[in-house]
Amino acid sequence: MLMLPELIIVFTAFLVLILDLIFLKKKNTWLVMIAIAGVVAAGISAFVLFEQTGELLGGRFAVDSVGLWFKLIFLVATGLTLMMSVEAFDVRAKGLLTHQAEFLAVLLFSLSGMLFLVSSRDLISLYVSLELATIPLFALTAWSRTEVSGEGAFKYLAMGALGSAFFLYGLGLLFGLTGHMSLVEIASALQTGPALFLAAGLITAGVGFKLTLVPFHMWAPDAYQGAPTPVTAFLSVASKAAGVAVAFVIFYRLFGEHLSSWSGVVAVLATVTMTVGNLVAVLQSNLKRFMAYSAISQAGYIILGFLGNDAQNATAMVFYMLVYVVTNLAAFSVIVMHVHQTGREEIDSMKGLSITNPLLALAMMVALFGLAGIPPLAGFVGKFFLFSVAAKAGYYWLVGVAAVNSTVSLYYYLRIVRQMYIEPPVAGTAPLRVSGLPAVGLVIATVGSMILGVVPVFYERIGADTIQWLASLARVP
Amino acid sequence: MGILSWLVIVPFLTTVAVIATPNPKQIRWVALFGTGIQLILTAVVAMKFWALAGAETGEHSMATHLCMVEQFDWFKSLGIQYFLGIDGISMSMVMLTSVIIFTGVLASWNVENRTREFFALLLVLVTGVFGVFLSFDLFLFFTFYEVAVLPMYLLIGIWGTGPKEYSAMKLTLMLMAGSAFILVGFLALYHTAGQSTGVYSFDLTKMAAFQYPTEMQAWVFPMIFLGFGVLGAIYPFHTWSPDGHASAPTAVSMLHAGVLMKLGGYGALRIAVYLLPEGAKEWALFFMGLTTINILYGAFGAIRQKDLKYFTAYSSVSHCGVVLFGIATLNMMGLKGAVLQMFSHGIMTGLFFALIGMVYGRTHTRIIPDMGGLAKVMPWLAVCFYIAGLASLGLPGFSGFVAESHVFMGGFFGNAWHSSTATRTLTILAAMSIVVTAVYVLRGLGTVFLGPIPAYHEGSHHDAQGTHGTHGTHGAHGAHGAHGAHGAHGAHGAHGVNLAKLTDATFTEKLTTGILIACLALVGVFPQFMINLIESSIYPILNRLH
Repeated sequence: MLMLPELIIVFTAFLVLILDLIFLKKKNTWLVMIAIAGVVAAGISAFVLFEQTGELLGGRFAVDSVGLWFKLIFLVATGLTLMMSVEAFDVRAKGLLTHQAEFLAVLLFSLSGMLFLVSSRDLISLYVSLELATIPLFALTAWSRTEVSGEGAFKYLAMGALGSAFFLYGLGLLFGLTGHMSLVEIASALQTGPALFLAAGLITAGVGFKLTLVPFHMWAPDAYQGAPTPVTAFLSVASKAAGVAVAFVIFYRLFGEHLSSWSGVVAVLATVTMTVGNLVAVLQSNLKRFMAYSAISQAGYIILGFLGNDAQNATAMVFYMLVYVVTNLAAFSVIVMHVHQTGREEIDSMKGLSITNPLLALAMMVALFGLAGIPPLAGFVGKFFLFSVAAKAGYYWLVGVAAVNSTVSLYYYLRIVRQMYIEPPVAGTAPLRVSGLPAVGLVIATVGSMILGVVPVFYERIGADTIQWLASLARVP
Repeated sequence: MGILSWLVIVPFLTTVAVIATPNPKQIRWVALFGTGIQLILTAVVAMKFWALAGAETGEHSMATHLCMVEQFDWFKSLGIQYFLGIDGISMSMVMLTSVIIFTGVLASWNVENRTREFFALLLVLVTGVFGVFLSFDLFLFFTFYEVAVLPMYLLIGIWGTGPKEYSAMKLTLMLMAGSAFILVGFLALYHTAGQSTGVYSFDLTKMAAFQYPTEMQAWVFPMIFLGFGVLGAIYPFHTWSPDGHASAPTAVSMLHAGVLMKLGGYGALRIAVYLLPEGAKEWALFFMGLTTINILYGAFGAIRQKDLKYFTAYSSVSHCGVVLFGIATLNMMGLKGAVLQMFSHGIMTGLFFALIGMVYGRTHTRIIPDMGGLAKVMPWLAVCFYIAGLASLGLPGFSGFVAESHVFMGGFFGNAWHSSTATRTLTILAAMSIVVTAVYVLRGLGTVFLGPIPAYHEGSHHDAQGTHGTHGTHGAHGAHGAHGAHGAHGAHGAHGVNLAKLTDATFTEKLTTGILIACLALVGVFPQFMINLIESSIYPILNRLH
């Protein structure tokens, strides 16, 4: 029962493939509904599990309260991505994608890897599930089979492999230091020493590739620009959340007490990441590349949560991840509609959207303000908690850097708002079609990005679960 | 749901109603109705406040002077609350805001372009402003603060004139950078108090019970004060203000100069000085010096302006300098004067910008040398303009006099922590601005409203060489280098509009100006009731200073 969400997802992936074979001759657009149903079912089963925690397979697979929140984040990200992906398979779409069933199945496999990831309690399964989450993404990035797409995918593949190598080396060192494969046993056997810091450094670098921390971010702009837009959306949230999940498992569970001396490194990485991401984003003219740099800078905020290892840090980080997923996907829902219907990716092609599609423009503006951290949106609340965590750790200068960076980010988010609201539309611009599923996804994401900041129940629940999780860690000898 | 919550909810509901109104023609009526209710609600709260405050005796602490408190946990584990309350300072600011938004809606009666979005954004902004004045939880305060600032970008960017995108971006980014520093300061306050007492809370009254370490106050105070100072247009961070005001549409200028800039002074007083008295003592003289520059720079800047809006914007920089100057005096007289000046300048500058909008709507120019003799064709507007001008140069009988005399007397008294020579010198310098104000107000208004109306030449836009009758008025400017260029402008009349054929104020315009002038005169003639209101709420702040 504990593995139910994962099993449902794997089952759905195969079901989609098989159904596509059975109904070979037809255009199977309804398959996406099955995929979404699978994700929803997995979500429900995860919710049913909410009070249950436990272990399977001799402790190699475990479900805990914080892990369930991560699973929820992955499921939400995938569900919303599936909804917006409909746009790319619409026959009228510019940059039309083919092989919908395979696309859905590969996406679901990646999701299953992420779900296994947070439950892994063993170095091998941790690494394998991380690869299971990542390798499908290489294929998805190349899905549109254009030159840009191929280039992006290749860069992603090469850099992703490098990142995995770093990560694996780090895990190997951990095994060498302790002689154990199980995370629980490693945690109890681990002792501070130079090799531990080498391992921590290698793991940070490996995770850095997934999280697009500067200087490990080089692949992201090209991969984001080349990938089909729904895949870009997925990359910017789910792959990042997977990186956070791995880092979370390793840093909180393994390094625990040893982490305190690591916070200086984290602070420097955060500073560099948000500053570079923000400053380069200012110069972008391509929407997807722009969102790539925006996502890089967001990673800089997220890792503020690693500046300590108590409950508030973890809570702030998980909460912000959830907020970031819905907010970024709300923005991407609009971008996907725009890109696949007009075939244009420049920022100034959004000119006059507020006249042609007032509601879409409003949703986009709310999402961008959320990303910039403007109250009362959830993006502000999430960022505020992360800043508070950094301040608690005594890094006031870092809070200052982060807050000034938020102002810089507001500048470039306002550039899009300006195109949508202040510039008049090009004469004869037809309004974008807003069709069923993508619209539902957009509404869910937008409402989420507003509600999460106003209704305290989500934050408080994550907080309570994290405290319980940390307490359970302490009980383990 | 208490009555204070309604003060925040009513503008928000009006926003929703504006968005939901099907007929664009009815939107302004919906907005007027909503802000009218807000005005009535404010009057009710004021009545209730006087009844409660009158019953109060003795102890002067913030907690006893907070009335109608509404307090609920929000993010409980972090000590974040939904905490509204009202004291004398908030009360006067709420009254100011209600009056300005009501008249602001009247002043935007003729907005035709994207009416729905205009009123919706205006009302969102006001929701934020009311929230700021009523919040006593720093998290809630900050939330409302940003809600109040951000709509400005679109309001100026879409409905503005001139280099509107540039001005809007400059204004937004400068104010947001200011709030970034405020945020760092708030977190420092929260964690410092939390780490030593174990109780983490953003509750202002709880934080005030904690004595912050002096060395920590020394770096947090300037951070928060300057952060708010940006919105209060403190020198050298005032540069967003003239550009922003000049580009903004009428009602937005009114709200911005009238109300939003007051958030800066309010925050500096309520949070920086109240929570960090030691830091305030250490930095007061420095900020007194900075604001003296503000006052003089704004006044001298205004003399040189040709555009009526830039003219008023620089005068606002000068008058807002008086607010911050008053706060930096750190004594009863000065602080009281600062709050009075916030109220007085809010109304006065609202009136100014409303009038500029009305004149501009007729002449289609704001360039002072292009106009002349308008008092003949629009006597009502001319008289109102003169009243606003005289109030701004501190004529007794209007609120400006009461406020400025308090501030400068406060500055002259000085305080126990700084040499009286220094404070007195600065006060004398700052007070000289009154003379400069008289120069620019009288001369500027003289050019626009008095003298002959410039001759009107149909279709002769490019042949004038400054040889016409208007030339004389230009001579008064005394700027010989620029002289020829002016003459060329002036002789055209205002962009081909025949100034002699313009009409006087309509009914809505008379109503707008009438309300504002009544407020100015009321506070000018009966200042005592405002002073009592404010004084009781200054004590808690002052007590922490001693």
